[in-house]
This record gives sequence, structure tokens and C-alpha cells, in this order.
Amino acid sequence: MVTRFADSGLQHRWRLPYLWDLLRSLVDRDMKLTYKRSVLGVAWTLINPLLQLLVFAFVFQIVLPVKIPQYASYVFAGLLSWNWFQTALYQATGVIISSRSLIRQPRFPVAILPIVTVTTGLIHFMLALPILIAFLLIDGIQLTPVILFLPILQILQFAFTVSCAYFLAALNVTFRDTQHTLGVILQLFFYLTPIFYDLKAIPKEYWYIYALNPMVHIVTSYRQILMWGVPPDWMAIAIIAGFTAILWPLGYWLFKRQSRRFVEEL
Amino acid sequence: MRHAITVSNLSKGFKHYHTGKPTTFMEAMLSGLRQMQPIEQFWALQDVSFSVAPGEMLGIIGHNGAGKSTLLQLIGGVGYPDKGKIQVRGRVGALLDLGAGFHGDLTGRENVLVTAIVAGLTASEVKQRFDSIVEFAELKQFIDSPVRTYSTGMQMRLAFSVAVHTCPKVLLVDEFLSVGDLSFQAKCLQRIAELKEKGCAIVLISHSAEQIQELCDRALWLRQGQVVAYGEPEVVAGQYISEMRSQTQQRTPNRPAQLTGSGAELRINENRFGSLEIEITNVKLLPLDTIESGESLCVEIEYNAPQAIKSPIFSIAISQEDGQTCLDINTLDMQVPMTIVQGKGNLKLQIERLDLKQGNYFVDVGIYEKDWAYAYDFHWHTYLLTVNSSYSNKGILAPPMRWEINTLPVLRDLSMIN
Repeated sequence: MVTRFADSGLQHRWRLPYLWDLLRSLVDRDMKLTYKRSVLGVAWTLINPLLQLLVFAFVFQIVLPVKIPQYASYVFAGLLSWNWFQTALYQATGVIISSRSLIRQPRFPVAILPIVTVTTGLIHFMLALPILIAFLLIDGIQLTPVILFLPILQILQFAFTVSCAYFLAALNVTFRDTQHTLGVILQLFFYLTPIFYDLKAIPKEYWYIYALNPMVHIVTSYRQILMWGVPPDWMAIAIIAGFTAILWPLGYWLFKRQSRRFVEEL
Repeated sequence: MRHAITVSNLSKGFKHYHTGKPTTFMEAMLSGLRQMQPIEQFWALQDVSFSVAPGEMLGIIGHNGAGKSTLLQLIGGVGYPDKGKIQVRGRVGALLDLGAGFHGDLTGRENVLVTAIVAGLTASEVKQRFDSIVEFAELKQFIDSPVRTYSTGMQMRLAFSVAVHTCPKVLLVDEFLSVGDLSFQAKCLQRIAELKEKGCAIVLISHSAEQIQELCDRALWLRQGQVVAYGEPEVVAGQYISEMRSQTQQRTPNRPAQLTGSGAELRINENRFGSLEIEITNVKLLPLDTIESGESLCVEIEYNAPQAIKSPIFSIAISQEDGQTCLDINTLDMQVPMTIVQGKGNLKLQIERLDLKQGNYFVDVGIYEKDWAYAYDFHWHTYLLTVNSSYSNKGILAPPMRWEINTLPVLRDLSMIN
């Protein structure tokens, strides 16, 4: 019942520097691919949220005015976080199906694949961050030391996205329409996350259901540290972290099982 | 000595699912998860045991679907055995689907960096070996062009080069040596021999008994997931070939002698072999069965298949009376698309020039099962071809040629001095 790899081979594969090199080269490849397929290249990373912002500013400042101070910063912070979540999760869901040749490589550490996708998303997030800072400064927001909590929020969102991706990518092997269904669901959740409207507009009686969406708290936490200069809601963060800590190993196990099944069923 | 690969009592099963197994959420909801359970299990590999020492090359032979590729995958650590044990020592390199991991939009350089790291090298190791990888693949000028501009041969060369430069301790090779041109194939073989010398254990899959005999130290014959024979390659390959012959003989039905449409006599198990699921009803040599050397020849096979036969292989060979083969070709190797054959039909091989020396030849014609498992109908030494020529020639070839005689100017000058 076992396949044993003795000797340096296995240890080598699990040595951290090797995994780091592998992650870097796969992320690098993903970046180059997006860059090469369009004339504007990496600029799309910035153009996409800026266009979204433009539309929201038009609709909610001119057509149906909502009273949110520093609206540009408010929406842009929400968009960056949400777009990272949405794009990475959607792409990672198809990752087993689209990486057959990698999975067929002897001893390829399959579990790295969703991590690669989410890391690529993180890099796009980081590339757009200076624009967000520019918006904050234009809106006259004072940056405070709580901004140093930013990496913690990013790590949390990263881990949460990867855990979800493990589950969904595994499910996508059995049900090939998972990715399409997810596309629709993500679009719905975009409206159930406070990206372009104010959280305070949610009536109390709906709050208990509405607050079950982890992205509500993650998006709000980004705004707390970046815009409002207050520490994030540690309670919510601890709950999401705990949830992720349970989800990750389960998803990881399922993901490995399903990717193996996928290459066996040639 | 410690073995590089030890496989003991390995079994691997696959599950068969209902053909109506839902593949989408929607279908699953509608059918209520009833058809998600497997309906039967079959064994792709059963109780397989062998070992390969460092520096040894094992050849695995068998028909399609015998479990060869499954075995290779399991050794590579893709998938797990259901029973038994596999032990592998050292880094595994694989020549499985060469070039499949390349991305057309990226340059050769970028692809090499990614593939080599995926194959198990660290970034600094790749940096050290990069030049030698490119040099071996003979792609120096093209390394910064996108891989989509490469020919298939160039992609294969690059992939092969990356794989051998990972210095594997165990190398898995699946039906290779269709890599690039002949000189590159020779280079690959030499490289594999070098790795072997350095103590790399190699497992090679092939359906060619000759290749196994030529290259391997040991051979393993798989049939429907079970080991039929394991040992000296000459012995195993011999058994494999004779099994194919006896399969054909067993399937040859008894039938009185028959005449073909053009009057040749066919006697079962003398000059005719095969199960006769497809019959060759006539073979015509056109325009005539006597030609001048260098003229064209058309071999027309008329056949009749009472029942539908899936992708049969048609083969035509021309040999001298003493048995020397001059031409031996088939539709599979030449990648002639063959689908289902049913009813009467004919197939022609048009040879533009037949540049053979004068003499008598036999044209042997056969139709085989799609994996060469046995012959449907094979007519041996039945059709005579005569080639005439205006001069005699002791070799085989008689290409168009002429002598050109020039008096050497040097000699003339010398004679003038004298």
C-alpha cells in the first residue's frame, strides 16, 4: 500500500529552498503569460479596478448619491481586496484540470498549484497598492502605524483563499461545472460584500446572516487600518483564522486525493 | 547491491463507473447521486514484482492496454498502488510526454527555467546547467524565440535535454526515440548510455521486441496487467514474438486451397496465415508484374471484411528470393488514417519509382490487428514480381545514376613537362 522514496530524492523535494524556487518560477511564468498575451500587459492590473471605480463613482455619486466620505478610497480598497479573492479563487478552481502535465511529473508537489495562483493574485494586489495609497493621500487621509497590520490581513486572506481553492478545485474534478457555478456565485457575493455601499446600511435583522460572509470582515478590516486608522476587529479575524485552520488541512487532503485520481483516470 | 527500484507484489485497480455517471452538479442533482458509485473494478496491474539495480536498463514490453504506462506512472510516484510496495531511490527523471509542459507563448529560455525546476532542480542548479542544456538541444539561436515557433522536433529535443540534465538516478522512458532526426536519436541513445554508466537505473517501455533486445539488460512482458515473462531480453523478446505467431496460427481456420482473382493459389498455413476476419481477395501488381528497374509500381489489395474491423494495419513487403527484405512498410508507421473497415474495398500503394536491381522478387501482403496482436490475413511469397534491367548489379539498389569521366588535368601537365 505504499510508494516509498528513500534517499535524497524525497528530502530534496521537500526542502524549503526548493519549494521556494518552484513557487517563484511558477508565479513568474504566470506573470509572464498574462503580460505577454496583451499589449497593455501588467497595466491591466491597474486599469481594471480603476474602470470599475469610475463606474461606481458615476453611479453612486451622481446617479444615486450615497453618503460615504472619501468614496474613491473606500471603493478602491474594497475592490483590490475583492478582486484578488475573486480572480484567484476562480482560477485556482480549474487548476487540477489545467495542469495535467505538471501533475504527471514524478513527485511534483501538487498542493503548490493553488498557492501559485493566489500568490500571483497577491503580486497584482501589491502592484496596485501604490495607487490606493495615492487615493488615500488625495482624499486627505492620515496614514497611522496600524497600517503595519496590513501583512497580517494579507496572510489571513491568502490562507482563506487557498483553503477554499483546495476544496473547490477538488470538487471541480468530479463536477466539471464547479468553476462555472462558482463564477455566478462570486458575482452574487460581490453584491453581498460591502464594496461600493456602506456597511451601516445593512438593517440589524439581516446582520446575523449577512455577517456570515468572511469577506465582509476582511474587506472592512482593510478599511479600518488603511482609512480609519483603527486596529481591525480582532474577534472577527480570530474566527476567520480558526475557520481557515480547520478548512486548510481538510481541503489539502481532498485536493491531493482528487488530483491523484484525476491523473489516474486518463 | 541496493536496488534503485524495487517493486513487490504490486497491484493496481481501476474503477469502472456507470456510463451515465453525472459529470456536472446539475446532473448529479437530477440523478440523485445514485450513479456515483463504481459498478465494477478491474485490475490494471496484478501481482507485479521486479527490481532494477543502478546502471541497469529494464525493458517493458506488451500490447496496448497491458498496463505498461500505469506501471511507469506508479514508479514515478503519480498515483498509489492498491496492494504491494514500490521503493525508489534517488531523483526520478521522466521522458513521458515530452514537451507537454511547454507554454507556446514563452520563450525557450523561460520554458527551460520552469521545466527544469519542475523536474526537481533548484534555481541555482538550473543556472549552472542552462548552457549545456541549450547546447545539447542544438537550439542556441532559437532559445529566445517563443516555443510556439518551434517545430515538434525542436520541442522534443529541448524537453529531452532538460530531462537528462537533471542527472536522475532513475529514468523512466515511454516509447521514445521518435525524437527529432536520426542523428539526434543517436545522440539521445548515447546520452542514455552515459547515464546508465554513471549508475542511473532506466525503465523503458516499448512495443518493439527488437528495441528491447538491442538496448536492455532485462525485459518484462506484461499482458493484461500480469507478468508473462521476466528475464533475459533475448528470451523474453523471443517468447513475445513467437506468441504473436502462434496467436496467428491458432486463429487460422481450416479451409481448402483457394485461388485469388488473378489465379494465385492460397494454401492455409503454407503461404497464407491469419484469422481471415478480413480476407485479402486479390492482389494486383500494376501495370504488370514485370517491370523495368526504375519504373513505377502500384500494389492494389482487394479485401473483404464481413464484419466491421477497427483500424486494421495493412502491410506490404518486397523481398528477394533469398529472403533479403528490400521494402517493408505499413499503414500504422506511415500514419495513414484507418478507421473502421467493413465490406469490400481496395487499397493501393503507389510506388513512384522502384529502383531495384534486376531479378525476381516476392511481394508479401498482410492485414494485421490494430496492435499487431495477430494477422487477419497474410499472403507470403505468393505474388511474384520481376524487375528487368539493362545491366547487371550485385547489390540491392539501382537508383538513377551515370558515370562521369574527366581526364585529370594534372596528368596532362606532367606529360607536357616530360
